[in-house]
Amino acid sequence: MVVCIVNHKICSGCNPLFFELSLNVEYEQQSKFNQKMNKQKTKNDFARHGIWLLWLLFLITASAMGQENYTISGTITDKSNGETLYGATVFLKGTTIGGVTNTYGFFSITAPEGDYSLNISYIGFQETNVEVALYNNQKLDFEIAELSTELEEVIVTAEEPERAILRKPEMSVAKMNIATVKQMPVVLGEVDILKSLQMLPGVANNGEGTGGFHVRGGAQDQNLVLLDEAIIYNTSHMFGFFSVFNADAIKDVKLYKGGIPARFGGRVSSVLDIRQKDGNTKKFAASGGIGLISSRLTLEGPVFGEKGSFLISGRRSYADVFLALAGESNRISFYDLNLKTNYAIDANNKLFLSGYFGRDAFKLGDTFNSSYGNASGNLRWNHIFNDRLFSNFSAILSRYDYDLGFGQDDFEWKSSITNYNLKYDFKYYLSDKFKLDFGANGIYYDFDPGQLIPTADTSPVNPLQLDRKKAVEGGLYLNAEHELTPKLTAQYGLRYSAFTRLGGQALVDYDNNQPVVYNERLGIYERGTEIGETNFDKGDAIETFGNLEPRVSLSYLLNEKASVKAGYSRTAQYIHLLSNTSSVTPLDVWTPSGKFIKPQLSNQYAVGYFRNFKDKAYSMEVEAYFKNVDNRIDYIDGSDLIGQNTIETEILNGEMRAYGLEFLLRKNEGDFTGWLAYTLSKSEQRTPGGTAGGPGINNGDWYNTFFDRTHDISVSGAYRLNDSFSFGANLVFQTGRPVTYPNGQYEYEGLSIASYAARNSDRLPAYHRMDLSLTYRPKKNKTRKWKNEWVLSIYNIYNRKNAASVSFGQNVETGANEATRTAIFGMVPSITSNFKF
Amino acid sequence: MKRYFIYYMILVWAALTSCEDVIDVPVQDGPTRLVVEASLDWEKGTAGNVQTINLRTSTPFFDKNKVTAVTDAVVVVTNDNNGEQYVFAHQSNGEYLTTGFEPVIGQSYTLQIDYDNERYTATETLTSVAEITNVFQDVEDGFDEEELEVHIVFDDPIEEGNNYLFKFQRRGDLLPELEVAEDEFVNGNEIDWWYEIEEDEDKNVLPFQPGDIIDIEMYGISRPYYEYINILVDQLGGVGLFEATPVAVKGNCINETTPDNYAFGYFRLTEVVRTSYTFVEENQE
Repeated sequence: MVVCIVNHKICSGCNPLFFELSLNVEYEQQSKFNQKMNKQKTKNDFARHGIWLLWLLFLITASAMGQENYTISGTITDKSNGETLYGATVFLKGTTIGGVTNTYGFFSITAPEGDYSLNISYIGFQETNVEVALYNNQKLDFEIAELSTELEEVIVTAEEPERAILRKPEMSVAKMNIATVKQMPVVLGEVDILKSLQMLPGVANNGEGTGGFHVRGGAQDQNLVLLDEAIIYNTSHMFGFFSVFNADAIKDVKLYKGGIPARFGGRVSSVLDIRQKDGNTKKFAASGGIGLISSRLTLEGPVFGEKGSFLISGRRSYADVFLALAGESNRISFYDLNLKTNYAIDANNKLFLSGYFGRDAFKLGDTFNSSYGNASGNLRWNHIFNDRLFSNFSAILSRYDYDLGFGQDDFEWKSSITNYNLKYDFKYYLSDKFKLDFGANGIYYDFDPGQLIPTADTSPVNPLQLDRKKAVEGGLYLNAEHELTPKLTAQYGLRYSAFTRLGGQALVDYDNNQPVVYNERLGIYERGTEIGETNFDKGDAIETFGNLEPRVSLSYLLNEKASVKAGYSRTAQYIHLLSNTSSVTPLDVWTPSGKFIKPQLSNQYAVGYFRNFKDKAYSMEVEAYFKNVDNRIDYIDGSDLIGQNTIETEILNGEMRAYGLEFLLRKNEGDFTGWLAYTLSKSEQRTPGGTAGGPGINNGDWYNTFFDRTHDISVSGAYRLNDSFSFGANLVFQTGRPVTYPNGQYEYEGLSIASYAARNSDRLPAYHRMDLSLTYRPKKNKTRKWKNEWVLSIYNIYNRKNAASVSFGQNVETGANEATRTAIFGMVPSITSNFKF
Repeated sequence: MKRYFIYYMILVWAALTSCEDVIDVPVQDGPTRLVVEASLDWEKGTAGNVQTINLRTSTPFFDKNKVTAVTDAVVVVTNDNNGEQYVFAHQSNGEYLTTGFEPVIGQSYTLQIDYDNERYTATETLTSVAEITNVFQDVEDGFDEEELEVHIVFDDPIEEGNNYLFKFQRRGDLLPELEVAEDEFVNGNEIDWWYEIEEDEDKNVLPFQPGDIIDIEMYGISRPYYEYINILVDQLGGVGLFEATPVAVKGNCINETTPDNYAFGYFRLTEVVRTSYTFVEENQE
């Protein structure tokens, strides 16, 4: 058997048996590490794990037997700029053998010997066919050309060629073409990837002017946001008015709403995987734009001879410049800097270095100044072991920090989270029917929740350092994509994650081990009584957790036009964002699981129906999901999280559940493209008293989460009139956000005091708006190197005053109670000019 | 500390947002409860023997009629140490009065109210307060560096755990303003607490002007009362996006007969210093 020999020869590092052994060794180390865990449980897990691997080994062996196959592997790039293409489809005509390029543009397909026509397709690119005589293993790189070379002129189509959608078990994925994002109408002319994603089913925001996003009724901190693999802890500029992702520097965006592949871990709700462009390998190019809020400039081109490329992309707001000119002493600004370069050492080795720096700064006279931002860097090494085994090693650093300066009181407040992440991922293209992903990663966290620094002798405050917290998180995974029959494809995998909160400080001990105690008499939750403390040395593990996270999905092709899919995934989350407000803020602090906070654990079940109509011009996706999350923390009445060293006295452990139905109808081709998305969903939370006693928060009853939206309808359309003019429109309707309104008043201290109803038992008025945009590209563009376009955008065209919040108080003149609505954006017209040469 | 964060959030957000208006919204109707305003405040340097307690009931949120006096309750306060009882007799409009109260710093007292065939009780300790050492005006501090603010200076005691309630009312204004403080972060220091009124053209609110008189009250409060009044003050004037979810604040007045029918309000015993300040033209200083 040729193939078997080949396998043994070239694949000593990834022989399944070897892999199993090495995994077991690591597993053993892992279990030593977990000495605190229940021994019986570990043993059971170990046994289950072993059996699972044996089963997998059997499958691999079975599927690898009896074939005389050869492999074609290579990279697919964009002919115009040399960018590698992620998600391009490669397949052999007349067969079902094919594959999709990975995030580095690499593909590998294996087929029996013979003559084939190899078909390459990718959204917005010309389909390419190449004749291949497959009588040996071949390495073939392809360059494909865009359908049109006009500026940003990409015809919007579905995420991948439809065949792939139907066949791949991948479901619950929202993918956005950057070109689509760029031509959608936007507020103040700032192209915003996160806001565009919110137009898809299952993705919601928490109101205008607030940061982050919510996926399938999940909280904001349950999203893993990755920019070139680096964790981004805060996705917003200016408290959420804009997102931190500069679309000019982004190559592609993929949001996993469920069915999260085993290679990702650490968050229970979703993974937003954003990749930066590599930079033009063909020629030097510049592009940019000038808008009302910010200006952008991107430079890219080849470096190191033919062996690499670079990209530098910057964006900066200039409201502060205007404020300075107007003689105001207040300042507000943000900037982003995206950097990337790569170097091909040889055909099988390539290095990538990428970085992101973004920051916001506010200054209110001499009273306050503040800044916050993310910084990340990632060094990656792509290594192709052979035509079937692709690997990537990454060393990643990311950091989020903020500082507040209180000028007149002479003190500063600083807080940060930093992590160091090592990852090694492999993709093994075993056969046309079986592909394997596996790898490991380890993250070291350093949480600095806050320090108070007096800046002068006269400062009224005393210096303070909240406990710095250190933790490590490890993950090991194995995932298979397996075509069981021509109609049935499965993706199944397992992730093992472990987390240790490290010592280095003393932790408070509480009376009866209760950091929060229910006061039966007063009917309220109170902070527990401190009875001492236990010291943990730097090397000590305060608490260790380990979880097995199985992920399975299936796709069954009903016919050439339709398929059904089902999936299950279990995910664990070990770090938590502390926020007792309805919207998270840039000042919220992350905290690790440990003695008092348990990891969040989630199960998600989803089923879906996928169909193409009219020769793939239309597609339809319908999905239903249910998920639950254990150990979701919530905050006792009157909780105080600011400068709080003993978070455990402010929280109770609860659970969350969410379910819903998502519907997406897209028109993928033609002059008119767009989609209609509808989500019907529920997201709830319940927090019983637990060890604290008492009924719990909201009397222990289920209550709506802030991000529960019963109905969410989004319509987005783009129409191309001719080469010069195109139009875009958005229409959004959402059930109002759950809020807590008063249900009574009484007089006390000469004031009318509002008494509030059950938690989140009221709703803001429904949210809706319509936006329009017009893009104009001068005819001259065709004949000159310099190309430009104008984008005119009108946000909220009928000027609806959507309530971001409603607050209740007394009129200062009459003393009568009144409700005050705060609306963020009325109708906002804007104009942006983009250029490219 | 917390107020800095919240002011900061509100200011930045306000700088970014534009539009506020008063709207009609439907609200739920909760149960009607007894409201106990039993604030036995002993002003420094006085005998403290005259004390009042006010009893009312709660009303629907948008109800204009706030006159809901409870006139037929029996109100007694007991010194938990010597059993001395002080009966508060109804005067008018739900006001109950005693003239023989004997305040003792650090002493625990119990309030008992019999109303509508139900008995309410509460226990609280009389808490002392520091002296105000200086009151002056300035423009440099505060959120607006051009407007006048008043400063109150006092020495926080060495031992940790002092809590304060401030009540500011400019003469002529309808509503007082409450602020709370604790000595976390600032324990044992000389504290300079300032108060400023921000201009709000929409609501016809002017900052302090020369000639304005501000009445200032500083109370020493117990920790449980701090926890209570802190939430209440946070929720005054409504709760925005970046503040904690508002809640029905429970005080210390327990309904012994029907626990679920607890009372709003609080039985507090404080020591208080009162002063006032008249603003002058800044350049005359």
